[in-house]
Amino acid sequence: MDTRRRTFLKVLGGASAAGLASQPLFRAFADPPVASDEFFVLIHANGGWDVTLSLDPRNERRGIIEPGSTDTIDTAPIRRWRDAPLDADSSTFEIIRPAGSSLRLGPAIGDLADMPDRLTVINGLAMNTVSHPDGTFFAATGRHLAGGKPVAASVDTMLANEFGRASLLPTVSVGYPSTYVGEDLDARVSPLRVGSVDTLSKMLNRSNVNTTAADRQAVTALLTEESRDLAARSWYRDEIEGFGLQLEALPRMLSPDVQQIFNATALAAAQPTLFPTGRRYQARAGVNCAFAVEAMKRNLVRCVSFASASHDTHNNNYRNQALIQQELFDTIAALVRALDAAPHPTRTGRRLADHTHILVVSDFCRTPQINLTLGRDHYPNGSALVISPRFVGNTSFGRADDDQLLPASAGMFADGNRAVAPPDLLATFVSAFGVNPRRYLRDGDVIRSLLRA
Amino acid sequence: MKTTLQRAAAAVLFTLGCNSTPAPGAPAPAPVTPAVDAGAVAPRSTEITPTPVTAIPGHELIPQDRAPKEPPRLMPAETLIRSYISLFGGLSPQALQVRLRGATSDNLFDTWGDYLSALGVPDYGVDIPRAPQTNALMLAAFERIGVALCERAVQNDLRGAVAVTDRVLFRFELPAGARALTDEEFATRFDLLHRRVLGYPAALAPDSRVPRFRALYQGAVARHADAGARSFNGPEAGWASVCEGLVRHPEFHLY
Repeated sequence: MDTRRRTFLKVLGGASAAGLASQPLFRAFADPPVASDEFFVLIHANGGWDVTLSLDPRNERRGIIEPGSTDTIDTAPIRRWRDAPLDADSSTFEIIRPAGSSLRLGPAIGDLADMPDRLTVINGLAMNTVSHPDGTFFAATGRHLAGGKPVAASVDTMLANEFGRASLLPTVSVGYPSTYVGEDLDARVSPLRVGSVDTLSKMLNRSNVNTTAADRQAVTALLTEESRDLAARSWYRDEIEGFGLQLEALPRMLSPDVQQIFNATALAAAQPTLFPTGRRYQARAGVNCAFAVEAMKRNLVRCVSFASASHDTHNNNYRNQALIQQELFDTIAALVRALDAAPHPTRTGRRLADHTHILVVSDFCRTPQINLTLGRDHYPNGSALVISPRFVGNTSFGRADDDQLLPASAGMFADGNRAVAPPDLLATFVSAFGVNPRRYLRDGDVIRSLLRA
Repeated sequence: MKTTLQRAAAAVLFTLGCNSTPAPGAPAPAPVTPAVDAGAVAPRSTEITPTPVTAIPGHELIPQDRAPKEPPRLMPAETLIRSYISLFGGLSPQALQVRLRGATSDNLFDTWGDYLSALGVPDYGVDIPRAPQTNALMLAAFERIGVALCERAVQNDLRGAVAVTDRVLFRFELPAGARALTDEEFATRFDLLHRRVLGYPAALAPDSRVPRFRALYQGAVARHADAGARSFNGPEAGWASVCEGLVRHPEFHLY
């Protein structure tokens, strides 16, 4: 046996130290937040979007690609659709080239076409899946499902763990594929997963007929002390400590100021531009974006993540694909403008937009061919959109090939020449805020060229 | 005196040290006396004879704990709702909802359906999985429901002329008049509630529990000393607070 006593003792000592550091209190001291003035909005375009109409536009027949046309798309509500010849009896669209920009966009891009200098487009994302659950979690966690289950934390949880531990609501997740998986996650950052933000207001109502707020606060204070004592007596203390910390946050959660942000009527009054009339598909996205702005203005939340209405259009409902996307991108543009107009809650003289970072992804994209029922099916390519002051705007990175719309090489990565993939995007996104991607992501390279110096 | 564990650790270290392989060509090390307590290593001549566990005095009275040890887990929301129903009258969910909403518009309760997502019940219609951990909103829901359950129980048991045996939760008498409870009187009544809600005697809880709840009770009594007719009087508010403290307790939600 070649083991030396000194080596053995070193290992023994190291293991003990690691054990201590894994306790929550030590973690809190060991890993102070890198920054706490940043906010995040993570959007999942549910169901797999057709990128040929927006972020990776295709308007000519080439290889197996059949572009969107007046035969397959309801073009009347698409404001930026300009006919371009395709057949004798049908037209496709003209590519949008915003002034002063090298970006090429499709007509479904909506109002985002007016702000190209803020857009960072990633095309040719190698999704390597055509399964909704797998693509959804791959886009959010950088890992494919294993045995049908997610095996890593989602990006909103990563960011909340870094920057949101002190927030009242580290992550509010409205249908987003948020996961809380991993060893180094603080008990406080478990995502608050809800079906919609406005249904929560009933939970926060309180009656003062029989007892008073002071009575309830006394009970909460007692339970906080009980949790603290129980945690001190426990070997596994994370759950009970988390319980106690959430109890401490409860009085603030019940304040009238917080109750306003869970009320759709109050949100509509505060952010009318996010509630335009006539929205057919993305009205909920407007509520979620208004919630994000109002909650961030009050410094109550670190991450707001939500899923949009479904883009899953296999059949004749593909006719509405462009409108579904246009409404989503219009909502995102309205969100950006609302952030421009909102003051930062802790940085005097700064706008929320200067410290808010938006990431939009989808399960995958849709087939380049039109199927027999006039829809498009699932396809293992993807695109993503980043709107962040930490990213270089007016930029497109990666590409899908010209004939088959499959991910093409985006350059040299650490493991060779290959297409860009979701782990690269997530690693780049979190590293933009000083987070070591290896803390959460097994795979993925940081794409430095996308980040501002 | 060394414990068995210390002796075993010393024996392991000693064995590791003895088994180190010298570098090739190095002179053989001089024999050294191990710097360990001779008592740490069992003499070879000592034969260890196995002892059946039944021969250890008192062993037959101590059940062996073979349960796997895991961190506390959150009670499934369905179990939690069943516990609420069982503790507060054993009604059907719909009947309990009617009782909790009450005849007056005091806004104590909405519907079970309004609270399911916050309690962590999965909703596969919109792809929301079961919540495995508590969160701030879930605790707000615990409070909302706990307040409704306890205040209705107080109204039923302590305000109404209900025999002790027929009461939902507070199966004890209060002193006549406005006399304050002595510490012993409080402890006896608190123990009843503690056994019923948390499932074990208060005497087995940490020492601070009874005094802490007594202070909670007394604080509520003081705050409601001159309450109006519609609001709870002192003892009613006190027992409502104690009840809330128990049904919102971490031991009630984690197992």
